[in-house]
Amino acid sequence: MTSGSSGLDYCELAVERGLIRGASAVEAYFTESRNLETMIEKNDIHVPKGDTYSGIGLRVLVEAPGGAGFKQGFASTNLLSSSSVDSTLTAAMAIAAASPADPHLCLAQPEPSSAGGAGAVDGLYDEAIAGMGLGDALKHAAAFLDGALGYDRRITVDAASFRVQSSQVYIANSEGLRLGQRKTVAIAQAMVFAVDGDKVSSFDVGVAGSCALARVNSFEIGRELAKRVIASLDTRPTSSFRGKIILTPYAASEIVLAPIAYSVNAEMVQSGRSKWKGMLGRQVMSPLISVVDDPAIPEGVGSTLFDREGVIPEKLDLVRDGVLQDYMYNCRTARVDGRKSNGRASGSDSGLPGVEPTNMIIAPGEHSLEELIGACDRGLIVNRFSGSVDPASGDFSGSVKGGYYIENGKIMHAVTEVMIAGNIYELLSQVVGVSDELWVLANERLPHVMLDGCSITGR
Amino acid sequence: MIELLRSVLDTVSGYAEIRYHKRVSTIIEARNASLAKAEQKTLAGAGVRCLVDGCWGFVSTSDVSEGGLRRALEDALQGATAAAEIKKERVTLAPAKMGVGEYVQYERGTEPSIAEKIDTVVQAEAKLRSRSELIVGSTVRYTHYDDEKYIVNTDGAAAHILDSKQSMHVYATAGSDGKLETGLESWGVTGSWQTLMEKGCLDDKIDSAARSAIEKLDAGYVPGGQYTVILDPQLVGVLSHEAIGHTVEADLVLSGSVVKGKIGQHVASDLVTMVDDGDAPGAAGMLMVDDEGVQGSRTVIIENGVLRNYLHNRESAAVLRGVPQGNARAFTYRDEPLIRMTNTFILPGKNDLNTMISEVEDGLFLFGLGHGGGQADASAEFMFSVAGARRIRNGCLSELIKGVTISGQAFEVLKSVDAVSGDFSFNMGAGHCGKWQPAKVDAGGPYVRCRVTVGGRHE
Repeated sequence: MTSGSSGLDYCELAVERGLIRGASAVEAYFTESRNLETMIEKNDIHVPKGDTYSGIGLRVLVEAPGGAGFKQGFASTNLLSSSSVDSTLTAAMAIAAASPADPHLCLAQPEPSSAGGAGAVDGLYDEAIAGMGLGDALKHAAAFLDGALGYDRRITVDAASFRVQSSQVYIANSEGLRLGQRKTVAIAQAMVFAVDGDKVSSFDVGVAGSCALARVNSFEIGRELAKRVIASLDTRPTSSFRGKIILTPYAASEIVLAPIAYSVNAEMVQSGRSKWKGMLGRQVMSPLISVVDDPAIPEGVGSTLFDREGVIPEKLDLVRDGVLQDYMYNCRTARVDGRKSNGRASGSDSGLPGVEPTNMIIAPGEHSLEELIGACDRGLIVNRFSGSVDPASGDFSGSVKGGYYIENGKIMHAVTEVMIAGNIYELLSQVVGVSDELWVLANERLPHVMLDGCSITGR
Repeated sequence: MIELLRSVLDTVSGYAEIRYHKRVSTIIEARNASLAKAEQKTLAGAGVRCLVDGCWGFVSTSDVSEGGLRRALEDALQGATAAAEIKKERVTLAPAKMGVGEYVQYERGTEPSIAEKIDTVVQAEAKLRSRSELIVGSTVRYTHYDDEKYIVNTDGAAAHILDSKQSMHVYATAGSDGKLETGLESWGVTGSWQTLMEKGCLDDKIDSAARSAIEKLDAGYVPGGQYTVILDPQLVGVLSHEAIGHTVEADLVLSGSVVKGKIGQHVASDLVTMVDDGDAPGAAGMLMVDDEGVQGSRTVIIENGVLRNYLHNRESAAVLRGVPQGNARAFTYRDEPLIRMTNTFILPGKNDLNTMISEVEDGLFLFGLGHGGGQADASAEFMFSVAGARRIRNGCLSELIKGVTISGQAFEVLKSVDAVSGDFSFNMGAGHCGKWQPAKVDAGGPYVRCRVTVGGRHE
């Protein structure tokens, strides 16, 4: 290989040499990326960072005797040369030789619709991101600081980052699949708190991301975060009770969406760790909740033309009106269930494919947030949740960060030292409201969700 | 390699460092009667950091030729120069004892072949699955980081470091009557495969994980509220690391953490002495030379209840007049060094555990970190999920409790400590600490009796 070799050249070389070495099937996944990041720490610019990366992951399948399936090996390297491709293949073949046979292993087949490339998704690549330099990234970080610190002098930006990536990925396999994709992403995230004398607010976080630079407004993210933490400075304890909680999209991401993503993951279903094994077509939660996974949202952080194995994903109804519709599959888990992958193979060049959503969305409801609050006789708004959610059992317990106490339909005061606990799979049957607006949190889109029957422990 | 890195830095007038880091990672995971993952990854390259007018620039590259390193240095200098136009505060570096020469952080032995390791993991998962018909999910995962670094800077560091960190997770899911519960055993070391197997007996850990998951199926919940508890060494380690350790990281101190300005003040019971020590042989956070090239040594954080020191890098030490003792760490060559803990622990006391239990009329004996991990704020408010608990009634251990989380203000909790046992162990070496980038750390201590808030269920 020469310095001018492309990622697809490396992929094709690896597939060819893997077959020569005796592999029954070979897959090569190549990534080339340029990353820029500007960090903020304690209200000041910290370290502007640049990174160029290229690497290749090689998967080999070796046929096991007696029709028992295939033995799989995987190795990756970011030292790119003809000889490093060879040594990486050697490592992958050694792992395959030592691995037990698996009757469900397979590689993706090229799809007719992917001849000459996958379909189109609008806005995956933004020249404004691809052309950025470290100086441009620094300006976005400075805008975030202006937004946060300009709101109130009591704000401390503990840490924040503005990060952009432009990447190219290629995949080739011995089934004849050849695909490539260019993509850009910009993500701003921050952790902010406020200090006023002896009062220290909760840490609060903000995240925004898009494939298009114009959709990530660093100033606005800083301003909104600042408003939230200042409002949580004057807190009061509350007593213990059992009641309603209104989860903001940040809290709903952790308490509601993460367990749903876990439970519809075919790996979890097949390993017995999902509560929703054998529940397709059954009511698993309130009819107020519908969940979809959409890989083709224009400019969406999770949008993609093809998955980690080269399968072209389509929009997936996971839960409709509370009824479980489907699971998320990669090639192996799909074969276990005797069906075709629905294109949710996840991962990078440095690991075997897993299963993950693309852009996961809880559908909006019909009421405004104000109406949800007005309908709450006694409860809490949970802005952020700092705790544990066991996605297998559904038990969750932890501290409320930036919470507000509601009584008779009105916000009474911010709260401190409050914990919430319950079982999310039980509480999902007791959803009493979903707001009509969606917040975009990188590759998730969520409304506010109101649940009843939550244990609230105060001082 | 040292001479190559030195020659690249020869042209720099200010401070600069180059850190070459090659990591070969091995991950083997068996899950539910199949080998879910067996991977070997090579990630190698150089992180180049420089200081221009008191501003950092950092660029990473996998091109470690002389030309590649010079280009990375030039880019880093340009980034730092751009940052200097925006940054408010200027960085200076405290003097430190630089690492020079060879550092081998573990007893080098003959590592088993990858085939032998795969066989061990696969057999262990089969044993876990066969422990009971109630085990519906079983995972055994092994991870190994085999690291080689060269660190050279313009202040005299010229260190060659060899390191090996290995860990094992045994994860059981038990199911009955629609309920699912988990049991987890995990441990990690700096050392060889043999060191790992000596630290934890795999058969015993399999028994323990299975038993824990099964017993929790019939366990009840505890009402939330304030309790006298006895924390086991793992939870003491989590408290030391998550709730105290992060607040004394000097970057968080400078951001206004709760211990800012409190050096010399009583912050804990006289029974509490807490340290961070990268030179604890075998502990998973072992670090003889940090990623700024500084030699590691023990930092006394709290001595007999009095706050003595923060954890520093060279930048924070210059601001707070501290001493850098090896806490600047980067996970891979692509990460810049941040202030991180190494091995953080409370020193053993003189009390007897059985006596400590017998003196509690009504309380909880808490053991192990639960599935949800632990979190804490700069205010030292923390929340940990607890793997298991037993009620203490009239001085005797009683029924098993599940779904417990504990929370509080860590320094208030440490002030409530009224007994510290003479036992000691490190128990947090299996996972990673997260602070923008992962880090291998360890933590532990003796059994400690104190008062905490327990999040539970209110009917």
